[in-house]
Parts: sequence; C-alpha cells; structure tokens
Amino acid sequence: MAGSTRASGPADRRWRALRRAARTRLAPFGALVLLAAVTLAVAAPVVSPHDPLKQNLDNTLARPGRAHMLGTDNVGRDVLSRVIWGTRISLVAGIVSVVLAAAAGSVLGLIAGYAGGRVDGLVMRAMDAVLSFPPLVLALALGAVLGAGLTGVLLALGVVYTPTFARLMRGQVLSIMARDYVDAARALGAPGWRIACRHVVPNAAVPIVVQASLSVAFAILAEASLSFLGLGIQPPQASWGSMINAGRGYLQQAPWIVFGPGVALFVTVVGLSFVGDGVRDALDPRLTR
Amino acid sequence: MGRLVVHRLAATVPVLLLVTLGVFALLHLTPGDPIDTMMAESADPAVKAHLRRELGLDRPIYVQYAHWMGRVMRGDLGRSIRNGEPVIENVSRRLRPSLQLALLAMTVSVLIAFPVGIVSAVRQNTAADRVGTTFALFGICMPNFLLALLLIFVFGVTLRWLPISGYVDPLEEGWDGLRSLVLPACTLGLALAAVITRTLRSSLLEALGEDYVRTARAKGLSEWAVICGHVLKNAMIPVVTVLGLQLGTLIGGAVITEYVFALPGVGRLVVDAVFARDYPLVQGVILLIAVGFIVSNLLVDLLYGWLDPRIRAR
Repeated sequence: MAGSTRASGPADRRWRALRRAARTRLAPFGALVLLAAVTLAVAAPVVSPHDPLKQNLDNTLARPGRAHMLGTDNVGRDVLSRVIWGTRISLVAGIVSVVLAAAAGSVLGLIAGYAGGRVDGLVMRAMDAVLSFPPLVLALALGAVLGAGLTGVLLALGVVYTPTFARLMRGQVLSIMARDYVDAARALGAPGWRIACRHVVPNAAVPIVVQASLSVAFAILAEASLSFLGLGIQPPQASWGSMINAGRGYLQQAPWIVFGPGVALFVTVVGLSFVGDGVRDALDPRLTR
Repeated sequence: MGRLVVHRLAATVPVLLLVTLGVFALLHLTPGDPIDTMMAESADPAVKAHLRRELGLDRPIYVQYAHWMGRVMRGDLGRSIRNGEPVIENVSRRLRPSLQLALLAMTVSVLIAFPVGIVSAVRQNTAADRVGTTFALFGICMPNFLLALLLIFVFGVTLRWLPISGYVDPLEEGWDGLRSLVLPACTLGLALAAVITRTLRSSLLEALGEDYVRTARAKGLSEWAVICGHVLKNAMIPVVTVLGLQLGTLIGGAVITEYVFALPGVGRLVVDAVFARDYPLVQGVILLIAVGFIVSNLLVDLLYGWLDPRIRAR
C-alpha cells in the first residue's frame, strides 16, 4: 500500500509524464527548437550580429555572405539580425495571446459550467457566435478596430482562441461536478467558491494546459499572417510576417529576404507542434491518436 | 432526419442574433470617434456630420442596432464609404473569383489527399507512409503566404510557367483563366490536402482493424476492393467532419491567397476595406462571411447526420 502511494506521488507522476513525452520521437526535437527560440529571443541584443533597424543604403539586397549570413534587405538591414529580433515578437504573440485566451476562456467556462441554466446558455451561445467567424477574418476585423500593432494583435488573437478554452473548461466542470468528491465537499458544507477553487479548477487544469501548448504554434502562425497583411507589428520593427511581406517584392533579386524569416517561422511552428504533441502525450495520453 | 434539421436550425437562430450583435459592435469598438477614424481629421465638419447622420451614430445605441438590424433583414447592408456602392453589390461582384478559387482548391486537395491518405494507410510504416505523413505535417505547419511565395518563386519567377498575380475569368478566357488560378488554388488546396490526408489516414487505419474488413478479406476480396468497397465509405465520416471544421481555415486562407495573388475576390475585399477603414463595408462583408460560414457548417452537420444514421437517432 505504501509502495503504491509512493508510486503515484507527484514527483513520480511528473517523472512518468516526462518519460512519456520523451518517448514521442519528435518531442525532444521540438523542445530543442523551443529552447533555441527562447534563447534567441532573450539574448537577441547579445547574439544579433547587427542592429536590426540600422539601414545601409550602400549595401542593399546584398547576397548572404560572411558579413551578413542571411544577406541584407532592400534598405540594407541585416536579415539575420531582424530574424533574431523577430523571434521575440513571435514568441510573445504566441504565448501571451494563448495565455489571455486560456485565462478568459477558463473563467467563462467555469462560470457557465458552475452556474448552469440561463448563464450557461448565454455564455456558450456567445462562444458559439465567436466561433461562427472564420478565425483569421475575425482577427482581421478586430485588428482593424483595435488598431495595428502588437497589443491589437494580442487582444484579437486572445478573443479568437477564447471559445476553445471556454468549451473545454465547461465540459471539464460538468464532468467534475458529477464526481463523488465534489458531493462530499458539498455535504461537508464547503462554499461554492471553495469547491470551484480547490476541487474543480485543479482537476480541470490538465486539458487546458494541453490545449494551450497545442495552440501556441497556431497563434504564432496567426500573428505572422496578420503582420504579413500589415495589421501586426509595424515597420521598422522586425516581425517574421512583416519581413516576408516586405520581401515579396524582391523575390526575384533577393529571395533571402523572404526565405530567412520564412524558414525561422516554419521551423518554430513545426517545433512547437511537436512540443504540443509531447505535452499532450505526457499529460493526457488518452488524447493521443 | 427532419428532427435533426429543425433542431440544428433552432440552435442557429440565437447564434445568428449574437453574430449580428458582434458585427454591429465592431464599429463601436473603435477607439475614439468612429467618424474621425474613417475620415481624415481635416475633413469638412459638414461632411462628417452628414456621415454621422447617415450611419445613425447620433442616436442611442439600441436604436442604432434596431435600425441596422431592420435594414439587414431587408437585405440592405449599407453602402461603402469609399465608392458609395451598396455592400451587396461590392460583394456580388467579387464572389465569382472567390468561388472559382474555392472550387479549384477543393479539387486540388481531394486529388492529392485521397491517393496519399489511402497509400499511407495501406502501406503503414513504409517509406510511402513516411512521405505521406511528412507531407501532411509540412502542409499543416506551412503558412499560406509562405507557400504562396514559394510557389511563385519556383513556378513564376524561376521556371516562368505560370502567372504570379492577376485574374482572368476562366469562364471567359478558358485556358488563360485556369492558368491564372493554378498557383492560388495549389496554395489553398495543399494546406487543405494536408489536413484531409492526416484525417483520412488515421480513420482508414482505424477502419482497417474492424471485423468486417477481416470478413471481406476472408471472402477473398482483393485489397483494393476491400478499401474502395468497404473501408473508404466508413472512413469518410471523420473526413467530412474535419472538412466542416476546416471551412474557417479555408476562408482565412482565401483572404491571404487572394491578397498575395492580387485576385479580386471577397477575401481581398475584406483586406482592402480594413485598410481603407471603410467600416460599413467591413461590417457588411464580415456579416456575410459569418452567415455563409454558419450555413456551410449547418450543411456539414446535416451531411454528417445523413452519412451516419446514429447521429439522426440521437
């Protein structure tokens, strides 16, 4: 009995979860990509070889070489340095928008599931209404009214991803509320907020974390798409999407302007997808297909 | 089936109402005065006052909503500020290129996804399967705009086989029209093909493990007769579901694809309206896209019920 208690202790569960994640062949690769991206984002001022905003009109559209490993753009800025600084924007946009959506969605789902009845109906119909808009079109419309820039993009993507988390949390709340331990807590006279905080939220957290880890890659893609369309980060600040848009006019003379940030974006999204799959396999193996 | 249709229609009504509320609120979410946002600060105050009156912004917000809804119900989505034309006319003029693009993209995706998905499932864990699953992974993680630029670089700039932008109507200029849509359709279709391939492969693998497949094989049917006659039909249900879920992504992809290839479609109209701060046009087009999306999802739900009798019985 003591042995089984030890085997299911929190440290052991964490270790087993990590082992499950590592067994997914591609998750370690994804973790490496994520680690590299985070390192580059944090250490951008140190590792970037040039000032990402400094123009050099005598050296425009320079081919990749020793001085500029990924060449220069149409106003002579170093593409590699801009790609490195763009990592910051992409990671911040991906992580912050998903955290915002997870927080808002979890609160709404908790309220809907806990209150039930009309409140549940109203909240969930509102979520259905948000889901009735194609995600990019909704983000575009919200970006238009909130204004171009990182804040507008974060809020727009936060709204777009909120219903997924609200639906997930509501489902979890409804399932947890039917468990015996919740009945027991009620019978002991625990107030509603205490049951929600002590019993419902901790038990509903795992699927939310799994969904959040799977959503980050798509949020990064969405931010890049909005920046590509001109609604995200504004020039001269570097973001992968806006760099690709700026470079598309020079595809024939200087394809490196597009392919530098393009490869960075693609590798990061692939890596984060692997991490998301790994987190899912580790925390909720039932969802693995 | 009739009960399912009524049930789904009834569930759609409150969502549609909330959608109209959301679209209406778009204009009012604008920080500051929406009229100042739409027009230059230096614009004539009389012109501003006229526009404010025309849009009904000088009235209480619930009156504005009721008035706006009344017009929407009569099919009047307002007029574009820039060209003064009704929103409906703006959209209907742009609908043909968008529908042609969507149809061609669907064709491309089905032509790629079905052979790749079937071969991947039938030859599981072989080199062919690995190629199929890698293709699916690349297609899902590759942003539309990057794929579009890659295709432009290879087939437009380097090989010079296909035009890199612009639109010629295939119904008027047959071959040239099709050529102008090949790269946009491949851009949109490849991403969709990746999702269908992944779903089809996993649902085929699941179906291949069923007892009826063993029975069909024991009867002496060839592998392809088993796949085409028995397995594929049952594996289609998740594919239809995923297709429905992917409609939103397809519309979003169309916005970017039309933008990159300068196609005069509805997606391009949204982007242009957003940048021109033509809010009545943004509101109208977004509302039409959302209603189209809801109706498409409703049709997919009904198709799902038609394909799977268990859904109807619920």
